Amino acid sequence: MSFSTQKSGNYCDQTGTQYLGIPAASHAEKCRGGNMWSTILSYVPKGPIWIQAFLVFIIPIGITMTTRWINAAIKRGSFSRSKQPTISSKDISPAAKGQGQGTETGHYANIKLTENYNTNLISVKESFGKNADVHIREFTIRGTNTRAAVIYTEGLVDQDLVDDHLITPLMLEGVPLLKQEGFLHPDNAHLLSAYLKDQLLPVSLVEETKSLQELSVGVLFGKNALLVDGLPGALLIGGHKIKSRGVNEPVSEGLIRGPRIGFTEQLSDNTGILRRYGSDQSLFIQKYEVGSRIKKDLAIAYIQDIADPKLVTEVCKRIEEMDMDSMLESGYVEQLIEDSTLSPFQQVLNTERPDRVIGALLEGRVAILLDGTPFVLVVPVTFSMLLQSPEDYYERWIPGTFLRMLRFVAAMLALLAPALYISFISFHPGLIPTKLVLTIIETRTGVPFPSIIEVLIMEISIEILREAGIRLPKPIAPAMGIVGGLIIGQAAVQAGIISQFLVIVVAVTAISSFTIPVYSAGLTLRILRFAAMFSAAILGLYGVVMFFLLVCTHLARLSSFGVPYVAPAVPYHMNDWKDFVIRAPLNMMRMRPDMNKPIDKDRKE
Amino acid sequence: MNGSPQKITTTQAVVIIVNYMLGAGILTLPRTTSKAVGTPDVWISIILSGLIIAGVGIVLVTLCRRFPGKTVFQFTREITGSWIAYILGFAMIMYFMVIAAFEIRVMAEVTGMYLLERTPTWAIIMVFMWIGIYMISGGLGVIVRVFEIILPITIIIFVIEILLSNQLFEIGNLRPVLGEGLMPVFKGLKPSLLSYTGYEVMLIMTAYMKNPKKSNMAMSWGIFITTAIYLITVVMVVGSLSLDGIKTRTWPTLDLVRSFEIQGLIFERFESLLLVIWIMQIFSTTAITHYCASVGIRDLFRSKKIKGIMYGLLPFIYVTAMMPKTVDDTFKLGDMLGNVSVILFAILPLVLLLLSLIRKKGGKHA
Repeated sequence: MSFSTQKSGNYCDQTGTQYLGIPAASHAEKCRGGNMWSTILSYVPKGPIWIQAFLVFIIPIGITMTTRWINAAIKRGSFSRSKQPTISSKDISPAAKGQGQGTETGHYANIKLTENYNTNLISVKESFGKNADVHIREFTIRGTNTRAAVIYTEGLVDQDLVDDHLITPLMLEGVPLLKQEGFLHPDNAHLLSAYLKDQLLPVSLVEETKSLQELSVGVLFGKNALLVDGLPGALLIGGHKIKSRGVNEPVSEGLIRGPRIGFTEQLSDNTGILRRYGSDQSLFIQKYEVGSRIKKDLAIAYIQDIADPKLVTEVCKRIEEMDMDSMLESGYVEQLIEDSTLSPFQQVLNTERPDRVIGALLEGRVAILLDGTPFVLVVPVTFSMLLQSPEDYYERWIPGTFLRMLRFVAAMLALLAPALYISFISFHPGLIPTKLVLTIIETRTGVPFPSIIEVLIMEISIEILREAGIRLPKPIAPAMGIVGGLIIGQAAVQAGIISQFLVIVVAVTAISSFTIPVYSAGLTLRILRFAAMFSAAILGLYGVVMFFLLVCTHLARLSSFGVPYVAPAVPYHMNDWKDFVIRAPLNMMRMRPDMNKPIDKDRKE
Repeated sequence: MNGSPQKITTTQAVVIIVNYMLGAGILTLPRTTSKAVGTPDVWISIILSGLIIAGVGIVLVTLCRRFPGKTVFQFTREITGSWIAYILGFAMIMYFMVIAAFEIRVMAEVTGMYLLERTPTWAIIMVFMWIGIYMISGGLGVIVRVFEIILPITIIIFVIEILLSNQLFEIGNLRPVLGEGLMPVFKGLKPSLLSYTGYEVMLIMTAYMKNPKKSNMAMSWGIFITTAIYLITVVMVVGSLSLDGIKTRTWPTLDLVRSFEIQGLIFERFESLLLVIWIMQIFSTTAITHYCASVGIRDLFRSKKIKGIMYGLLPFIYVTAMMPKTVDDTFKLGDMLGNVSVILFAILPLVLLLLSLIRKKGGKHA
């Protein structure tokens, strides 16, 4: 507690004689005059401080420049500055090369179908008809002797539809005698097409096409094509029918109470679910086709008179800007439309639960559904949403609030518990109660590592166990858990390489991180936990505080589609706090969250 | 999507004022005031100076509201003309920079003493400044959001901790009230006034408020909250450690929290928590002064690149922070800053206001 204070008199002595070289006789006199200058001079920092000052300046600039460079590189798609000409499917298509005219792209672009049945059939056979799974069934339409062919891809079409609604009427019923006369003349071919559509094809989806490109796309995507002699072009009939699984309970988000229904892999099912559960006429679904090579349907859903139009335009804009050969999962979309690629926090929420999506839509958010995945994206997302579960609203408000608070505490534990352990053990044992220190030290006697190594051993093995548990086949996973958790933990303690107290800390941390309802958010906390541990190992409790401030600052800088990531905590929206840490009684939550700027602010009539 | 300049609400202005005011002072306030007063009437000084500062603050925002949308660095030019404005602006910029350096140094001293005995000071300071620059380079919106996270944590933990020390509290230590008349109270005004530095941030923030009409509301609330916290602190510290106990301790508030233990809770000692929130408060004070200095340079020299200015200030603040050789030197610097603050932000705004009224510069109340 004692600080050495330098007396100015002493100082004067030293500086007076050494620096100014004044003779001892006139020393006392001159001292006053030289005093001021020497004092000022003595406050000018020494060499190392200037170097440190330079470091203070240059390192953040370096970091800023590097992140800016990386961000630019991510946007550009490569680290090299020169723009390499990339070859896309669009470039090698005949249309782009100037072969043929028109705007179509693809392999068979701008080839027109003719009225001649044989020509058409040959061009089909020569192009996509070579595929092993494309079948062509030729027959004659009863009554007119007109040649016709049905083209379809196996596995994509409903066989019953082909047999009952295409082949049966054409081959068995055909054109009645009375009308046959009219169609025999070649000039009346267009009448035949109209007649076929009106009278002979009892199917809801029928469209005409004249381009081979459209025909091939249609057939390969599961439509039936009908070629008729004398008919210009072809008819595309019916839609594809893929086997889809039922609406099972979502695996990734479990609930005790709540609907046991989850999205499936089929977009039409998913939009259907949304319509059924959110039967509101202003639920608007807008479709896009994404993927430059493998096309996929993508739908944006929002409630027209709630969602902020600016938000909707922004979402549409970002979706149109996406450029990728195919979107295998909504994760692709998420990563292509998010605000900050370098942030460890997700800026788009993914969920399998329709109730969660409907809830979000009613708050003025926008949902993005992609064909082929049960994971639906919701934007914008805020940090508080990651710690909320739909069940909070289904249970009464008191347990709901309790669970929320529990999750906030658990999230803090999952993030900081090992870091606090390290800082208290390695740096400040004096700051925890004496008895507790004694207990911990007792368990740590014989542990040969510093606490950071000890914690790292355990944390890394826990992470490995978790990863292994996910990848393993279901029946083996529990066995692995027992081996990993119990046997290795116990053995490690007995072998004396880690302390029992640490096993408790690590176990509590791991279990806490399981309480986070959104899996991706749990991943973020798991990564950040390691950062927290290292900062604690370097700077102790001070390091933990700095880490916390860094995370806060980062969260404050982050925004998801224009909504601050830390909303509704800050800026203080008193109204939105009713649905933050506390889940207020439903009657009190009559206003929609202000942060999404909804058009219709009131939930009640 | 956030292209437009950030505007702050009235609540946010209050948060900024409180976060700025609560800084290094809170750990030393009981000592400085007790030394000056010499009787247990310290708390009266605190209340009185709170009232005085409120008056000064109102004058200050009245001045600002005559020039809506302009910071002090911009409108001084209109009142006094360019040359004086440059001198005054430069003085204010220096003041903000030195405050930032001072707070950093105090933080480093306390951290070095209580938390990290063997860690070199430069390491402590550098990490602190880097996170600070990461925050302020995000602009006012980010700063105020972080402040809004920090402030509730601080106030809740601080008030709980101080109140937990009630087992040491003896009302006898606060008696007699006005035993030696009013003179000691007035003697204590100076150090307690100094601990209120921070309201001057409104010279800049009024320009960024959504509703500048409410700036005096913000000012009053900010000062009120700070006064309440100071009052609780001084009453509890003086009541628990007694006047004589305080005078010998460098950081009496911290010592109060160190000196009691509560059995049965997980933490028996609370100084770690106090240090944590206190470091956060210093962080916010440093950041806002750094920001104000950058805004000052930007507005005074009509530059556009505020980020470059922020980065450029880093080494200067660092060197200034390293200048004092000892803790005593640091405290002397603090006192000096207090004196400068009285001139710059208590007397000067009044003069400027009068001048602007006389010369009829600036509009009616915004």
